[in-house]
Amino acid sequence: MAPTLPSSDQASDQDNWDNGRLARKRQLLIEIVLRNRLTALVVDGDTTCRVLEQLLLRSYGVQTQGVDNGRDAVALIASGVKFDLIIIDMILPVLNGLEATRQIRDMGVHCKMLGVTICSGESERQAFLAAGVDVFIEKPLDPEHLVPILRELDGQ
Amino acid sequence: MLGLAADRLRADMNRLLSFLFHQGILDEQFLQLQQLQDETSPNFVSEVVNIYFHESEKLLRNLRSLLMDREFSDYNKMGIHLNQFMGSSSSIGAKRIRNVCLAFRAASDQNNRAGCLSALEVLEHEYCFLKNKLHELFQIQQQRVLAAGVRYPMQH
Repeated sequence: MAPTLPSSDQASDQDNWDNGRLARKRQLLIEIVLRNRLTALVVDGDTTCRVLEQLLLRSYGVQTQGVDNGRDAVALIASGVKFDLIIIDMILPVLNGLEATRQIRDMGVHCKMLGVTICSGESERQAFLAAGVDVFIEKPLDPEHLVPILRELDGQ
Repeated sequence: MLGLAADRLRADMNRLLSFLFHQGILDEQFLQLQQLQDETSPNFVSEVVNIYFHESEKLLRNLRSLLMDREFSDYNKMGIHLNQFMGSSSSIGAKRIRNVCLAFRAASDQNNRAGCLSALEVLEHEYCFLKNKLHELFQIQQQRVLAAGVRYPMQH
């Protein structure tokens, strides 16, 4: 059936025209309350993605820092700054995400690492997991993937 | 009278959003963006989208510059730009642009210069269309805010 625009008489349909998906996502965005102050590092070369990922984390009360390349991420970790969670893109300027992940793990860092990328195949997924990320997610980062991870880190 | 104007603006906004979703121009990720907007960050969506526009125009210029170079052969660099464009487009819910980037990347992976040029034309067109529609959406939202302010004047 071809999609039709809601008529002006169907005010309730217009207000909820996404068939409940809006309500469900709203629920996901507010349902988690963290007991502990978690910290996260977002490593993404794209400004839009990095800003959005940090804002999503902050909406849950997670304290965040962001860097736009793999070399700065490694340097920050090497300086002794600790995070509960690192979200890292596979494709990064200067030092790519795979190599940055390996170097971070080689430093003995055991925090949760979440690898993200766009439109990848199984080989990329396996390579990222082999480099040391714990979880691999296709962009965009969304509450359905993030909330269970935050709950786990919070000990819920 | 003012109530009718506000209702008309809300209907216009919902109609435009419904169109953008039904045509596959936007997807659910745009809803998530709206859910991150609250009274502490009332212009959040337009601010993030403006970051996206700024970064996207740089990427489009880079892509065109690469393809206009007669000596061009660095498809790897093109792939990096496209991955970035796909990632940021996915993050704000720009579904159609993401899909055009996917087709563009397929041509790039095959070192198909003619295919890349054709895909770039489509990408530039789709980007302009999205930008115009989102500007229209933000204008309606601003008018709603102004209409609400006139309807409920500040009490001194």
